[in-house]
Amino acid sequence: MQDLGRAALVLAFGLVLYAAIGGGLGAYTRRRRLVDSARNAFFAAFASGLVAAIVLLNAFRTRDFSFSYVAEHSSKALPFPYLYTAFWGGQAGSLLLWFCVLTGLGSAAVALNRRLTTEVLPWTVPVLGGVAAFFALLLVFVASPFTTQVAPADGAGLNPSLQNPYMMIHPPLLYLGYVGLTIPFAFAAGALLSGRFDERWIVATRRWTILAWTALGIGILLGAKWAYEEVGWGGYYAWDPVENAALMPWLAATAFLHSVMVQEKKNMLRVWNATLVAGAFCLSIFGTFLTRSGLINSIHSFAQSPIGAWFLGFIALVAAFSTALIIWRLPQLRSRTKLESLASREAAFLYNNLLLVAFTLTVLWGVAFPLLSDAVRGEAVTVGPPYYNFFLKVFGLPLLLLMGIGPLVAWRRTSLRALGQTVLWPAVAAVATGAILIALGGGSSLAGLLTYTFSAFALAAIVVEFARGTRARKALGAPSWWNAFSGLVARNRRRYGGYVVHVAVVLLAIGIAGSSAYGATKIQHLRPGQTMHIRGYDLTYQGSVIRHRANHDELRARLAVKQDGKSLGTLLAGKNAYFAEDQRSNEVAIKTDWLRAQDLFVIGDEFKQDGSVYLKVLVKPLVDLIWIAGFVFLLGSLITLWPDAREQRRLATNADPGPVPATP
Amino acid sequence: MRLVIALSVAAALAVFLVYTAFAGNATPSLKPSQLAGHKGTLSVSGYVLGPVKGDPHAAGGLRFKLRDIDGPHKNVQVPVVFHGSEPDLFRAGRHVYVVGKYNGTTVAATSITTKCPSKYSPAKS
Repeated sequence: MQDLGRAALVLAFGLVLYAAIGGGLGAYTRRRRLVDSARNAFFAAFASGLVAAIVLLNAFRTRDFSFSYVAEHSSKALPFPYLYTAFWGGQAGSLLLWFCVLTGLGSAAVALNRRLTTEVLPWTVPVLGGVAAFFALLLVFVASPFTTQVAPADGAGLNPSLQNPYMMIHPPLLYLGYVGLTIPFAFAAGALLSGRFDERWIVATRRWTILAWTALGIGILLGAKWAYEEVGWGGYYAWDPVENAALMPWLAATAFLHSVMVQEKKNMLRVWNATLVAGAFCLSIFGTFLTRSGLINSIHSFAQSPIGAWFLGFIALVAAFSTALIIWRLPQLRSRTKLESLASREAAFLYNNLLLVAFTLTVLWGVAFPLLSDAVRGEAVTVGPPYYNFFLKVFGLPLLLLMGIGPLVAWRRTSLRALGQTVLWPAVAAVATGAILIALGGGSSLAGLLTYTFSAFALAAIVVEFARGTRARKALGAPSWWNAFSGLVARNRRRYGGYVVHVAVVLLAIGIAGSSAYGATKIQHLRPGQTMHIRGYDLTYQGSVIRHRANHDELRARLAVKQDGKSLGTLLAGKNAYFAEDQRSNEVAIKTDWLRAQDLFVIGDEFKQDGSVYLKVLVKPLVDLIWIAGFVFLLGSLITLWPDAREQRRLATNADPGPVPATP
Repeated sequence: MRLVIALSVAAALAVFLVYTAFAGNATPSLKPSQLAGHKGTLSVSGYVLGPVKGDPHAAGGLRFKLRDIDGPHKNVQVPVVFHGSEPDLFRAGRHVYVVGKYNGTTVAATSITTKCPSKYSPAKS
């Protein structure tokens, strides 16, 4: 079977190489048959990649430890679902997943847009083929999942931390996000190579960009939820380089999704958008380089190998290719439209972009700081959470405010008087919120106070926008308020879906501010029968219990919990000891108070021989808004992603391509 | 317009450069063999040498030594005393990085981050 897997990968490598070279030649010489065969080769590479993936999955299913990769990441006792998620538990499997998602998503994007971008597509396929060829090269020559060995009696098992339901979906979503950003990059490069700079490449890739961006966003949130429940330190985001590696392309893609609206509406920011797309793609590759190179200390523990150097070379190649393309097309890309006023919708988008890009660069600076300081001073210096938290406030708070102001200002220009009228109610809501919070004692954290005040402003602005639009549609003859509201959203999915995403961001901001600025932590040594108190909660330690499972033992502290004297039942917090992996994992207990969106978070930190336990207990106010924000974010993204037949018809009728600039 | 963009970007750059230069919580990240001449808050990455003694919650703390993970200076060792929550994967033979204060002889660690074993070793029979 290993031979079949290897053969499938070699074939896939040949096919994507042909798609890159043959497709490029076909596009340059305008030979239709060559272009078509390159596209078909790319489709076939997806099928070939799938064959390799099925071979590997089957090896996991049959626990065939003659596959070194299967032996390294599974064991006989590994339970059913994790047997398959072990597929991406290591480097070679991750690369294979990356290749399959890339060729699958790329094939779908090419197939679905073949009529919309007939001039761009011949150049898009070679770019997709080139990126896929890089991953296939690694799979064939550097990190094959099909290396063999004499089968050991049992495998090494899967890292216990990865034996968690969130880990079944978090990595594939991140890959979908990273890989998905290849699609807008390939189409943008195709547009630049073909000389077609009109809105069609943007329309062709907008949904793919939103899909990638949504997957990356949900993937980051699921990773945070996993860290919160599984890692057991009481937090959800540690500003670790690997976490930042996912955040940076998401921020860059967020900037692009906003600035692209200015290009569509005003035909401005074309150079900026091309740069953002290339930047987001480079950052997605940079993340993999960071994790695999081992150059930067991270709490994440990916297998380190010389593969990092390959990624660095690939980033350099992509960056040079993108820069050369943009410089080459600079004269045609320059916009003839100027910004008319600094108080306009397009200016608001520009400010939003500057803040998002500045924050992205700040995070990048922080991540790369150890490397830079080592190169310059000969001593690696790291920046910790205080650095990132400082800049989150510096850039995040104005962004929150801008999220409220942006939708209220008109395109082209807005008078100060008109602006004053539109922001009146949101401003009243913000001031009232601030005053109430100060009266309730929330002024202990200025950042928390500002976050809540700006959040109230942004939320009120969104409500005003929905109310204004619904009222207008009712006045135009909608039979009911509900019809007016649903018709409003259905006819402007991108706009109102975007507002729903803004609500998610506001919830996220409130959740982060609440849990970090107003939380409480206590560590206490308890003997059976003793009670600890924290923020109105009483936890009585009733002793420890041990349960035996198929592949691990569970040790738990049993705790009777009361809140303000009322019983909340029993919590079990402790540790698992995994046999095959010879590892322990923290298993925290969480009691959620949905009314306050607050968690009581209990860590069984250390169990002593005498039956006593060290408990670490945290109260996390509003933390559950972060997870609720994930659902709202998904809802908003789905509204935005939903197909819009009217827009497709408009584009089809406007599909006069016009003259193509000469290709040198 | 370009001036606005340039000034905004320059301002942002200036803010974080100033922060990292003066106010930033920048911490030297060193190997045990590079500690000579340093004092104060720093992070050390290294290989945990046994025996690991003590209790991280007791006054004496958890005690162990670190050496370089690789390179020519594996003979240089630094003692570490840790107070706090011991990571699940911590033990002798693991690669870790600790953050704490160095007084010239011992690192008083406030956090330990353990890297998971990444290399396959055959299961014990």
